[in-house]
Amino acid sequence: MKVAGHHVLDAGPREVFDAACDPATLLAVIPGCEAIEQVAPHEYQGSLVLRLPGVGATFRTFVRLVDADPPHAAGMEGRVEGPMGTIAGRADFGLTEVDDEPAHDGRPGAGSDGRSIASRTLLEYRGEAVIQGPLARLDSRFAESLANTLIAQGLQALNSHLIEASSTVAPASGRPSPREAPE
Amino acid sequence: MTVVEYFLPRSLAQAVDLLSRHGPDLLVIAGGTVAMPLINDGISLPRQVMGLRFVGLDEIEPSDGGLRIGATTTLTSLLRQRHVPMLAEAARRTASWSIRNMGTVGGNLFTPPPGGDVAVALLALDAEVTLEGSRGRRTLALSEFQTGFMTTALEPQELLTGIGVPAVAGETTYVKFGRKEANTPSVVTVAVRVARDGEVVTDARVALGAVGPHALRARKAEAVLVGSSLEPGAIDEAAEAAAEECEPFDDGIASAWYRRAMVRLFVRRALEELVQHVALEGR
Ligand SMILES: Cc1cc2nc3c(=O)[nH]c(=O)nc-3n(C[C@H](O)[C@H](O)[C@H](O)COP(=O)(O)OP(=O)(O)OC[C@H]3O[C@@H](n4cnc5c(N)ncnc54)[C@H](O)[C@@H]3O)c2cc1C
Repeated sequence: MKVAGHHVLDAGPREVFDAACDPATLLAVIPGCEAIEQVAPHEYQGSLVLRLPGVGATFRTFVRLVDADPPHAAGMEGRVEGPMGTIAGRADFGLTEVDDEPAHDGRPGAGSDGRSIASRTLLEYRGEAVIQGPLARLDSRFAESLANTLIAQGLQALNSHLIEASSTVAPASGRPSPREAPE
Repeated sequence: MTVVEYFLPRSLAQAVDLLSRHGPDLLVIAGGTVAMPLINDGISLPRQVMGLRFVGLDEIEPSDGGLRIGATTTLTSLLRQRHVPMLAEAARRTASWSIRNMGTVGGNLFTPPPGGDVAVALLALDAEVTLEGSRGRRTLALSEFQTGFMTTALEPQELLTGIGVPAVAGETTYVKFGRKEANTPSVVTVAVRVARDGEVVTDARVALGAVGPHALRARKAEAVLVGSSLEPGAIDEAAEAAAEECEPFDDGIASAWYRRAMVRLFVRRALEELVQHVALEGR
């Protein structure tokens, strides 16, 4: 299974990187995440509840941050284990500051809700995972489509979180919509 | 690991209670036409399963000029009702007799593409879904319920209990294009609804199936139609817009490229059919 894509988030690379390493933020933004704890400096463990059509299951998750170069890049190695199989893989992401790109409404320096913000970050990701167990019998289109959906939902939630966290000046309004383009 | 417990609650209250007691590891099954093959193939390995057959959610009732459909209403019952012809047609084009006798309208909203043919028609009708759990009841637009590929806004402790079809204005057409005429997975499914004031379109819905992570509204195509008189130029432009905004995928049935081309063709045909139908009726 392979996934790749990019999103623009309404915060600077440093804020994005820090949020992505903060268990409380991860708990709030990962779809179906029920629990997460830091078990070592760069290691997390948690549980994910996904009620998919025809499948009701809780998955145990393990994630380790590797090759971190804050706030520009990092790799993540992880494993998701459920009753119907295991998904193990690695994802790499890069964060680049974008400041001159026209904003959602065409004006420079405005966030997805039209509010003016300091900077934005282009997050690019690429990942590969091996599926084992009964789950591997499903068409790979299923796993990839589902992974893309969950990543898009997670990043959308992360963006809302970042906007909220930075909105001491002006409260965020409306639903932010980070632009997404899976490759 | 196999199923060790099978629950058959006799009321919605019992079902909600079982769900909150056992949590998301309790697999909910309606008709089972999606879930059972996964279990039989060993892909889904639930320890506990709850069937919704006897919870009393299988009624179709007219309400305020619209329709109230219980979540476990079978596709066969939907086919037989006469209140909303597009829904009967959508059910008729879904699966086979035997699957329709078991499969439910609610289950169709969870079916990943290229399935979900009834959901496409419901989307064009501005349907709403009712969700109920231990924390109460809420209603959502269908367009907000389906959130991604195999994902919905349903919370782990909730059940889908019903689908509401409001009294909406306009003429409708439903077209499903597959590799065969009957009992065939969709290459593209198109449902359109157009309301007019005289010649001028005042409201339009163009819903697409099998060309995205779930049933989608082609909103740019809808915008092209509003204000037009469904003249050939507007129809072509709407078909082009729909082809551009859909998010097709490759599978064993069709390539993404072919699906996009078929969206262009079948949105145009659906709209032409609608124009023809209206012209005939007006005579
Ligand atoms: C041979 C075959 C051909 C098919 N052809 C088509 C086709 O042409 N078009 C098409 O659209 N579909 C098709 N299907 C798919 C399927 O039959 C239908 O989509 C049907 O409507 C699914 O309903 P169900 O009640 O059987 O779902 P189930 O298998 O009972 O449900 C699937 C999952 O949805 C969830 N769920 C269902 N109901 C509820 C509820 N009320 N509350 C909470 N969760 C719920 C549960 O997680 C459940 O496990 C086909 C299936 C088969 C096997």
